[in-house]
Amino acid sequence: MNENNVPMIEVKNLSKSFGVVEAVNGVSLQVFPKQVLVIIGPSGSGKSTLLRTMNWLERPTEGEVLVDGVPLSENQYRINTIRSDIGMVFQNFNLYGHLTVTENITLALRIVKKMKKEDAKKIALQQLMKVGIADKADYYPSELSGGQQQRVAIARALAMEPKVMLFDEPTSALDPEMIKEVLDVMQLLVKEGMTMVIVTHEMGFAKAAADEVIFMDLGKIVERAAPEVFFEHPACDRTKQFLSQILTH
Amino acid sequence: MAVNDRLATQKNKNGLQSIDDMQLTKKDFPWWMVTIGLVILITFLMIQINPDFKDAFNIIRAGLGVTISTTIIAYCIATLVGLLVGLGRVSESIVWRNISTIYVEIIRGVPLLVLIFFIALVLIPGFITLLNIIGDFFMDAGISGIGEKLTAIEIRSVPNNVRAIISLAVTYGAFSAEIFRAGIQSINKGQMEAARSQGMSHWQAMRCVILPQAIRNVLPALGNDLISMLKDSSLVSILAVRDITQIARLYAGHSFKFAQAYSILCVLYLTLTLILSLIMKLIERKLGNERK
Repeated sequence: MNENNVPMIEVKNLSKSFGVVEAVNGVSLQVFPKQVLVIIGPSGSGKSTLLRTMNWLERPTEGEVLVDGVPLSENQYRINTIRSDIGMVFQNFNLYGHLTVTENITLALRIVKKMKKEDAKKIALQQLMKVGIADKADYYPSELSGGQQQRVAIARALAMEPKVMLFDEPTSALDPEMIKEVLDVMQLLVKEGMTMVIVTHEMGFAKAAADEVIFMDLGKIVERAAPEVFFEHPACDRTKQFLSQILTH
Repeated sequence: MAVNDRLATQKNKNGLQSIDDMQLTKKDFPWWMVTIGLVILITFLMIQINPDFKDAFNIIRAGLGVTISTTIIAYCIATLVGLLVGLGRVSESIVWRNISTIYVEIIRGVPLLVLIFFIALVLIPGFITLLNIIGDFFMDAGISGIGEKLTAIEIRSVPNNVRAIISLAVTYGAFSAEIFRAGIQSINKGQMEAARSQGMSHWQAMRCVILPQAIRNVLPALGNDLISMLKDSSLVSILAVRDITQIARLYAGHSFKFAQAYSILCVLYLTLTLILSLIMKLIERKLGNERK
């Protein structure tokens, strides 16, 4: 195992601007295998953009992203291969509306991994059992609650056997009573030793699950620390201010 | 011909449909359908009892085959062209995007009747002349096999009904391209991102994720296009294609039975479009049920 020297994801001096707006400005970070990195920050701080550069959904204006030592680039064939190793979970679930839950999971297995229908179905069922909704296998996404849809989306990502999972505010579009079921599944992944990068506003989850917490503001990393230190003794004033705003309620 | 308007009304229709399903509004008894049905019935009754009507009907109905086959063939080609051009309109390639946009904008900016003249009498002969020139070029180069075949094609050898079909297909291709484009763009971009994030190529995502949902959304608009095309196929009569309009015109012209000829022509179109819109309603209802 090269666990200690090759980071699963390495971001080098990355910037991304949309026109004149600098969304991400010179960020560098590393995520090692089995590590859980939580990125927090106010909206517009560039945390989602940063996450989306990690599988090339956003092309960086400057800098570089390496996944498992391989730099991401414009090469379409290679980016498709690399992406199939990176699971991504979106804020709005983005399940394929015309397909059943099972078909949502098997589609990429079949056309990207060229798997046989039966094998793909088996994997789908396994993943659905893992996230606790095997009974909804033949439902359409529109027939499920938000929490259930997000769990299907996680199962869909897991089915590809990714090396790393990216979560883009996975609970932000959910009703409060459904947040827990999704966080429980994510907690399960943490226990299994999945490498994860999570953008979230769930401070309780960050405290419990993260190995490292990064606080971003205005496109830059303001502070990074282990969660105990980060939440109890934040070093920067901006971090203190942000945490006090969130945690007072 | 404003496709966007058509899409908009379609959306309204769908909206009303779902409200109907929730039974928030009372469903009207379809008096309009009864009235139109009566008009059609009376006309066919006239055809039975009045020898003038009978005479006219028997002559005009000979064009039904041409009208229907022209419409169906042209519609199939137009849908295919529309799908390709629609994909071109949302393509990542700047070249395809521009070629598609030029095609759509040119077609939308010229009246259908003028386009039919232009395509049938300028574009197609021009294309054949071009083939002849290429043929000459091959002959000069000593490749007489292909050369002879190309130079032998004459402008006259493309019959008018083929020109009519090509004209309609090229024109309606631009309309259905806009429908497909609108359909593709109506799909949330998160669908594409999710598919790409799983390692699918742009085309795989388009084919397996975006298009199935987009096409389902635009089926009603495509159906409307078929009805429009059936009606607009009457314009090919100016190319002397013997569809029902052309035959009715000829019949009225030499018999002076304008009332008989044109009432029957109207009722024939009305019957055909009514049948088509009923079929469409059934399909829409079926899709609506499946979605639930």
